[in-house]
Amino acid sequence: MAIEDNKDNESSHHDGYQYQSTITRRESLKWLGILSAGALLPSIVGCEAGENTTKVANAVGDAIKGHWPDLTLPPITVKGYGKDPSMIIPPTSPWPKTLTAEQLTLVAVLADILVPRDGNVPSATEVNVPDVIDEWVSAPYERQQNDRLTILSALVWINDEARLRFNKTFTILSPAQQLKIIDDIAYQKDDLAPEFTKIARAFSRLRKLVLAAFFCSPEGTKDLGYLGNVPIAGDYPGPTDEAMAHLKQVITKLGLS
Amino acid sequence: MKDFNYEVIVVGSGAGGAMAAYTLAKAGHKVLMLEAGRDYDPKTETPMFKTNAEAPLMGAGNVDKDFGFYDATVDGGWTVPNEPYTTGDSSDFMWWRARMLGGRTNHWGRYSLRFSEHDFKGKTRDGLGADWPFEYEELAPWYDKTEMLVGICGTNTGLDDMPDSAEGVLQPPPKPRVPELLVAAAAKKLGIATAPMHRAVLTRPKDDRQACFYATPCGHGCSIGAAFQTTTSLLPMAKATGNLKIITDAMVRSIDVDETGKVNALTYVDKKSGSDIQLSAKVIILAASACESARLLLNSKSKHHPNGLANSSGHVGKNLMDSTGTGVGAHIPALEGRPIYNEDGHTANHLFVPWWGHKQQAKGELDFPRGYHFEIGSGFRAPGSGVSGNLQGYGKEIKEQAKKNYGAGVYLALRGEMLPNEHCYMEIDDKVTDKWGIPVAKFHWQWAEHELKQVEHGLKTARKILETMGATFDKPLPSAEKAILKGGQIIHEVGSTRMGESAKDSVTNQYGQTWDCNNVFVMDAGVFASNPHKNCTLTIMTLAMRNASWLATQLKNGEL
Repeated sequence: MAIEDNKDNESSHHDGYQYQSTITRRESLKWLGILSAGALLPSIVGCEAGENTTKVANAVGDAIKGHWPDLTLPPITVKGYGKDPSMIIPPTSPWPKTLTAEQLTLVAVLADILVPRDGNVPSATEVNVPDVIDEWVSAPYERQQNDRLTILSALVWINDEARLRFNKTFTILSPAQQLKIIDDIAYQKDDLAPEFTKIARAFSRLRKLVLAAFFCSPEGTKDLGYLGNVPIAGDYPGPTDEAMAHLKQVITKLGLS
Repeated sequence: MKDFNYEVIVVGSGAGGAMAAYTLAKAGHKVLMLEAGRDYDPKTETPMFKTNAEAPLMGAGNVDKDFGFYDATVDGGWTVPNEPYTTGDSSDFMWWRARMLGGRTNHWGRYSLRFSEHDFKGKTRDGLGADWPFEYEELAPWYDKTEMLVGICGTNTGLDDMPDSAEGVLQPPPKPRVPELLVAAAAKKLGIATAPMHRAVLTRPKDDRQACFYATPCGHGCSIGAAFQTTTSLLPMAKATGNLKIITDAMVRSIDVDETGKVNALTYVDKKSGSDIQLSAKVIILAASACESARLLLNSKSKHHPNGLANSSGHVGKNLMDSTGTGVGAHIPALEGRPIYNEDGHTANHLFVPWWGHKQQAKGELDFPRGYHFEIGSGFRAPGSGVSGNLQGYGKEIKEQAKKNYGAGVYLALRGEMLPNEHCYMEIDDKVTDKWGIPVAKFHWQWAEHELKQVEHGLKTARKILETMGATFDKPLPSAEKAILKGGQIIHEVGSTRMGESAKDSVTNQYGQTWDCNNVFVMDAGVFASNPHKNCTLTIMTLAMRNASWLATQLKNGEL
């Protein structure tokens, strides 16, 4: 029962980094704890704390290898922004954000693993990606509620895996330990071990959301290279000479000239 | 409206209603317009230059805003609160409605292709569907006038599916972009031509409207009036004559008749107060959208019109058509990492693939009777809630993958002509009413072999074009049954009050005048006798201009 017991202590594991939302920490705290009731892990009940992964896996076999939190999440029942929101001043807080401080911190750590600072280009958390993810998974719409289950399950899995392997929650692992887990789940290759297929799919969804949120930010948009959304006086100039030269090469290479 | 001595009531403020009202107002006739939705002013309400980061959910669509947060549609979309519709057994149909001044013209794609001589006489050629009650030549000068007024960019191509406009009518099209040029090169190799899309977007200023400045998707609406919508053009211009007055939040419940069965009034619900208001009416023009106008006629039953108004033929609600829709997308390796430039353009197709198969069809070489075109989806787009491509790993490598993929995807969207069939129609659901107590529309839908064969051909052709561009496919194409979009989903619903030569098998004559009631006209897409693949709005406006001009003459001559 050690793994479940540890859950109650999670909020005291604050000796490490904690993501500070710039917008919604107050709201997040209000919703703290909503997840734990549903986050049971029946397949690993009985495991001893302190055992490393190999031992646990050998002792319990496939059940532990394929651990997956079958979360039962209460549906988000708040209203959406409706069919006539102001588009000139979009709602900045259209619904309460629901990630706990711990979940938000875990999202932040993962987001910065996915999009770390790169020279002058900021990291995901530097452009508030975790807040965008929080808004996304807290939204009352079908697609987002599906993602909510995917993302929250991934967060639980990643912490469970961290405890199984290193007996600590993910956010307080060393960067090297964190990457040991991430390396196992970040590649959806053909020979992926079966115990990682579900989490790899869920992690892939998180990866796309984090990347989308990053590229949406002004700094991320610049990093991507998007040059539009500026008014042009006169006729649309069309492709640059460089772009046309490249196209010419492509057309020749494909035998279309 | 006691102080405003109107001659004509127009129901609806979208493409048909606004053009009818403008034409009549210009001709000196006083017009009262009723719009079921709220007042809307693009000048103050359009989210120009807004980024997805500023919107909830990175701008992503949902049941509240189906086409994304910034889509111009107000109080509508695939669902309208408190105004349901129903569908018959095993019928999938989606009905897009807007509840706002200007209707769907505020967000439409602005593709504005003329129907051709083939399109008006389909039945004469292949025996299917219905002919229109006139030839292309009859409509050609009206297309010219409409294109001049609306402002259409494009060129005369001489292609048999794209009739030329008169000299000086079209505004110059924007330069094509790299992926479009690559599609053009690949299509050419396969013997298929591409052409500048015709769009209702100004590339030169007109009236009070500015030329496009090539930023902000047209679907958001256009505060500078470059992308055509009635709320920045026809409606203010008609109002300026002093001959048009508009009542918004006015949901028409019924068209009313006197004791002899002659239409003399209509009743609308004032949505703000919830109370019914009856207006006397000399002439009524229905332009509430094909299915709303048909619904209104069917709901206007009386002793003299037991099957609904103007429905002695039984054809109101029948012959319902949409465009066929499907598409194939691919990653084009040759476009990876290509030099970036501002590819917004006028935010939709600069080039497209017009239908090329009339001659093959005439020779009987194709196993489907009607044509389609491809619209090209591509470009260095503004970042949003999606990132394309199969990304693997983390850190610098995924950003590099995403950047490599950026602008390297190409999507070919098919839009094709369907034929009317007995399984595609709407009626009134007598068990369900909307918030105002008005019985709702019930849709029945079933694609026929003609459409499925066409879609199958389109999927194969699209894939061939993409393969010619260097794309590879590891999966077989989906079946046409799986790939074809739902009825209504292309938002080109037409035909529910079709025009024709005879009162027996059509609802209106060639002027949109109902056979049964000479003072009731239909001037939306309901009157279409067929649904060519070329997007209905330009032809809705052209017919409305022509038919409202005819009506103006009738009024002047005291015929009504």
